[in-house]
Amino acid sequence: MTEPIKYQNRIEILQGTLDLLILQTLAREPQHGHGISLAIRARSGDLLSVETGSLYPALHRLEKKGWLDSEWKCSENNQRAKYYCLTKIGRKQLAAEQNRWRLLVRAVRGVLDPA
Amino acid sequence: MAMKALRFLFRLFFKRRQLDKDLNDELASHISMETSLRVQQGESAKGARQAALRQFGNVGLVADVTRSTWGFTGFEQALQDIRYASRSFVRTPLFSTIVIVTLALGIGSSTAIFSLLHGILLRALPFPEPNQLMMLWEIPPEMRKSNPVLLNNFVTWKERSHSFQSMAAFESLPMNLLGDNQSVQVPGLKVTADFFGTLGAAPFLGRTFRPGEYWTTEPREVVLSYSAWQQLFGGKSDVIGKKISINVSHHEVIGVMPAEFGLPDQKTELYLPLAFNLHEARNYSVVARLRPGVSPDAANAEMAILAAQTARDNVALNAGWSATAVPLLDQAVGSVRTILFMLFTAVGLVLLLACANVANLLMMRASGRVREVSLRLALGASRTRILRQLLIECLVLAACGGLLGLGLSGAAVHALKTSLPESLHIPRLNEVNLDIAVLLYSAAASILSVLIFGLAPSLQSLKRNVSEDLHESTRSVTSAHKVRRVLVVTEIALALVLVAGAGLVVRSFLRLTNVNTGFHAENVLTVRMLLLPVQKEEYHAESVREMLDRIRALPGVVAAGSVGILPMEGTNSGTWYYRADRPEPEANARPGGDVSIITPGYFEAMRIPMIRGRAFNVEDRAGSPQVAILNETAARMLSPGENPIGERVKVWWSNRPVVEVVGVVADIRHSGVSTPPDPCLFMPNDQQPFPFTALVARTVGKPAGLAQAIREQIHVVDADQGVSKIEEMQQMVSDSIALPRLEAWVLTLFGVIALGLANIGLYGLIAFSVAQRAREIGIRVALGASRTGVFRMILGDGLRLTLIGGILGLAAVFGLTRFLRGLLFEIQPLDPLTLISVICLLTFVSLFACYVPARRATKADPAAVLREE
Repeated sequence: MTEPIKYQNRIEILQGTLDLLILQTLAREPQHGHGISLAIRARSGDLLSVETGSLYPALHRLEKKGWLDSEWKCSENNQRAKYYCLTKIGRKQLAAEQNRWRLLVRAVRGVLDPA
Repeated sequence: MAMKALRFLFRLFFKRRQLDKDLNDELASHISMETSLRVQQGESAKGARQAALRQFGNVGLVADVTRSTWGFTGFEQALQDIRYASRSFVRTPLFSTIVIVTLALGIGSSTAIFSLLHGILLRALPFPEPNQLMMLWEIPPEMRKSNPVLLNNFVTWKERSHSFQSMAAFESLPMNLLGDNQSVQVPGLKVTADFFGTLGAAPFLGRTFRPGEYWTTEPREVVLSYSAWQQLFGGKSDVIGKKISINVSHHEVIGVMPAEFGLPDQKTELYLPLAFNLHEARNYSVVARLRPGVSPDAANAEMAILAAQTARDNVALNAGWSATAVPLLDQAVGSVRTILFMLFTAVGLVLLLACANVANLLMMRASGRVREVSLRLALGASRTRILRQLLIECLVLAACGGLLGLGLSGAAVHALKTSLPESLHIPRLNEVNLDIAVLLYSAAASILSVLIFGLAPSLQSLKRNVSEDLHESTRSVTSAHKVRRVLVVTEIALALVLVAGAGLVVRSFLRLTNVNTGFHAENVLTVRMLLLPVQKEEYHAESVREMLDRIRALPGVVAAGSVGILPMEGTNSGTWYYRADRPEPEANARPGGDVSIITPGYFEAMRIPMIRGRAFNVEDRAGSPQVAILNETAARMLSPGENPIGERVKVWWSNRPVVEVVGVVADIRHSGVSTPPDPCLFMPNDQQPFPFTALVARTVGKPAGLAQAIREQIHVVDADQGVSKIEEMQQMVSDSIALPRLEAWVLTLFGVIALGLANIGLYGLIAFSVAQRAREIGIRVALGASRTGVFRMILGDGLRLTLIGGILGLAAVFGLTRFLRGLLFEIQPLDPLTLISVICLLTFVSLFACYVPARRATKADPAAVLREE
C-alpha cells in the first residue's frame, strides 16, 4: 500500500528476524521501543530500519509469550518510557534464535557460493 | 478451560482500559523521544514533531495492529459489530420493527404450538419405564371402539396372560367427602391392590395398599393425592392414621402420593380400594405393565387370543367380544394428537412465511446497501470481516425476534391454559411449560430462520464487482429482484393455504354451533352427584323424588327432573335389548343401544318433545308394571315401520326386566354435538334406581342464582349428600365444542398473520420496484403514457404475482386439506364456498397492498424524477 521508494537504500527486515534483533538488542540492557529501533538502525550501519507498525506488535507478542518483561521508567532525558528486558525464557530463546540464524546464514551462503 | 475463559473475561473488562492507556502512552512516548532527539539534532520544535509523526506512520493503525496481538480482538470485533448492527437498526426503525415483529410472530406462534406438542405428546409420562404401560379394553361385537372391562375377564387375563408383569383394575367415581357445613364430591378412583405397583409409583408419605389377594370387602383405607393432602390436612405430616369420612364411612389415611403422580387424562383426589364383587357390568378400566422385551403388538395379539378364550368360556356375557391393549400415552393423548399435528403443520407454514418475509425484507435492505458494502471492500475491509458483520446483524435480528417471540409464546400458552374450560380435559395441559426443550426449539428456529433467509441475501452483495457497484449504485439488481418475486409468490401461496384451512375449520365450527341438539340447553341448571350408599335401592329413588319436589317448589323453576348421565357428560350407559315377542337374538348379533334412567319431568325440563304415547308419571313406581320410552332411533330399530307403543322389550339391565313401551320421544344428540343419535331406551328411576343422578332444573331466567338454593334443598333431604358438579347445560354444550372453537380461533389467528405477512411482502416488493422504476415511469409519463395506464401497470404487476401465488396455493390446498377431513364437521375439505371467499379475500387484500405504491407512482412528477437522476 505505502510507497516503498524512500526505503530504497535500506533493507527490509526478513520475516522472522525481527524477534532475533529485538532479543539481541535487549540482551545488553533494558530498552524502550524508540531506543530499540535506534539501536538496530545504528548497529546495522543505517541499513536496517524497523517500522513502528512491526516493532510494537512484535514487542507485545514477545511479552505475551513471556520472553520479555516490561516496566515504566524514566529515560535519560527524564521522559517516562516503557522499558523492556529479557526474561529467563527470553535468554534461552535468544540462544536458540541465534543458532537458527547462523544455520540459515550458512545454508544461504552454501547456496550462493557452492564450494 | 473455564478458569481460562474467566480470566480472559476479567482481563477484558477490568484491565482492558489500563492496557489501552499503556499502549497509547507507549506510542506517545516513542514520538516525544523521537521529537526531542530531532530537536537535539537542531530541528525546530514544530518541524521535529511533524517529522517524528511522519516517521512513525499511522498511530491508530499501529495501535490497532498491536492490540490484535493481545488475543481477544475476535470477541471485541463481535461486540463492535453488535453495536454497529444495533445502531444501523435503530436508524431504520420501521424496517427493524417489521423484521423483528415478523420473526417474533413466526417464532412465537411456533414455539407456543411446539410447547403444547412437547408437553402433551412428546414428553414421557411421569412413571418409571412409561413405555411398558398399557391400557386394556374390551371391544364390543361388530364395533371398533374401546369398552370398559368386565371384572371376570380382568381376573382371567391376569391369570392367563404372559405379556404383562402386573395388571390392575380401577373405576373412576365421585367420592362423597363429609364436610363441616356442606359435603362435597371429589373425583376419586377405586383401585385394586397392585394399581400403584403397576404404575411403579411409591407414596410420598406412608404406604399404599398391601398387594396380594383380591379384596372381597373393601378395607376402610384411603390414599390421598398430594393436593387432597394439602387441602384437607394443610400438608401436615402427621396425617397418617387420621380418619376421614368418605361415602358416609370412616376411612383411615394410609398414604399420600407425590405431587406429580396421577393418571394422565384425569384428575384424582382420593384412591380407595376396589372390592371384587364379580357382577356383570363392564365398568372397569385396566392398566397393565408389559414384561421387559414384550412389544405392544405382541401384547395386543395375546389380548385377542385371551378374549377368544373368554368368549368360549362364557358365551352369554362374552360372545363376539374381543380385547385390545393400547399404550397409556396414546390412550391419554389420542384425542388431541391429530389436532396438535394439524396446528403444528399450520404453524410451520406461518414460520416459513415469516422467514420468506424476513428474507424479502433483508434482500431489499441488501440491495440498498450494495454501495456501502462496495465502499468498505474498496477501503480494504476483508470479505470475511464484512461477512462476519452481516452475519452478526442477522443474529442480532434473530435474538430480538426470538426473545420477543418467546415472550409472545409464553403469554399465549398462559392464556390458553387459563381460558380453556376445565371440563375440556386436554390431557397433560397443566404439564405444558416453557422448558429447556422449548427454549432450544425456539433458539434453533430463530437462528436457523435468520441464517438461511437472512445470510443468503447478504452473500450475494459480496460476490459483486466493486467498481461497477460504486459507479452505478442505484441500478436495479435484476437477479435479486427475481428472487424476491419468487419469495412473494411463495408467501401468497402459503397464506392462501393457511387462510383456506382456517376458513374450513371456522365454517365447520359454525356448523357445529348451529347443530340442533334436540334439546333446549338455555336456562337449564344441572346438579350432578353420586347418591350415597343405602340399605335398599328404593331409598335412592325416594330421595331423588323428594329433592325434585323441593326444587320444583323453588321460585323461578319451571320444570325439574333427573337423568342418570347428562347429555354432553360422556358416554351413556349401554346394553342390548330386543322385542320380547321375537326369539332371543344370537349372542354376537344383539341389537344394542343406550339406556337412560330418568324421572318424570326430565323431558319437560330439557324440552325434548314426545312423538307418541306418554311420558313417565308418578304412577310408574316400584311395583307397578315396568315401562319404558324409546327414542326415535330405538323405535326404528326395534319396530321398523310399526307403532311400538304397547310392545314389550327385554332389557339386559340389572334384573333383566321385560318392559312395556309407553312412549316415543324425539332424538337428541347425547354423546356430542357432532355425534348422530344412538338408539336409547329410557326407564323410570323409581323402577330401576340408579346411583348416578343429575338433577335438571329449567328456570325462567338465567339459572346460575339457583345453585345455592338447590344445594340447600339437597342438604335438607340428606345432610351428608355432597354434590360433584353444578353446571349450566348451555355451558356444557359450549364446552363440548371448546376444542373445535380453539382450533377455529388459533387457525384464524394464523390465517390473519399469514395474510398480513404476505401482504407486507407484496407491498414491500411493489413499493420498492416503483421506487426503482421511478426513472422509467417518469420517461413513460413524459412520453405521453396516461396516469391510469401507469396505475394499471403497477397494479397489474402486483395482481399477476397474487394470481400466480393463488394458483400455486390452490394446488397445495387441493393436496393438503384432505388431511383436515377428520377435523371437519359437515364441511368438505374442498368446500367451494370457502375456497371462493378465500380467493376473493386474498385478491382484495393484495389489491389494497398494491394500491398505495401504484398511487404513488402516478403522483410522481416526471420532470422532478428525471432531474433527480
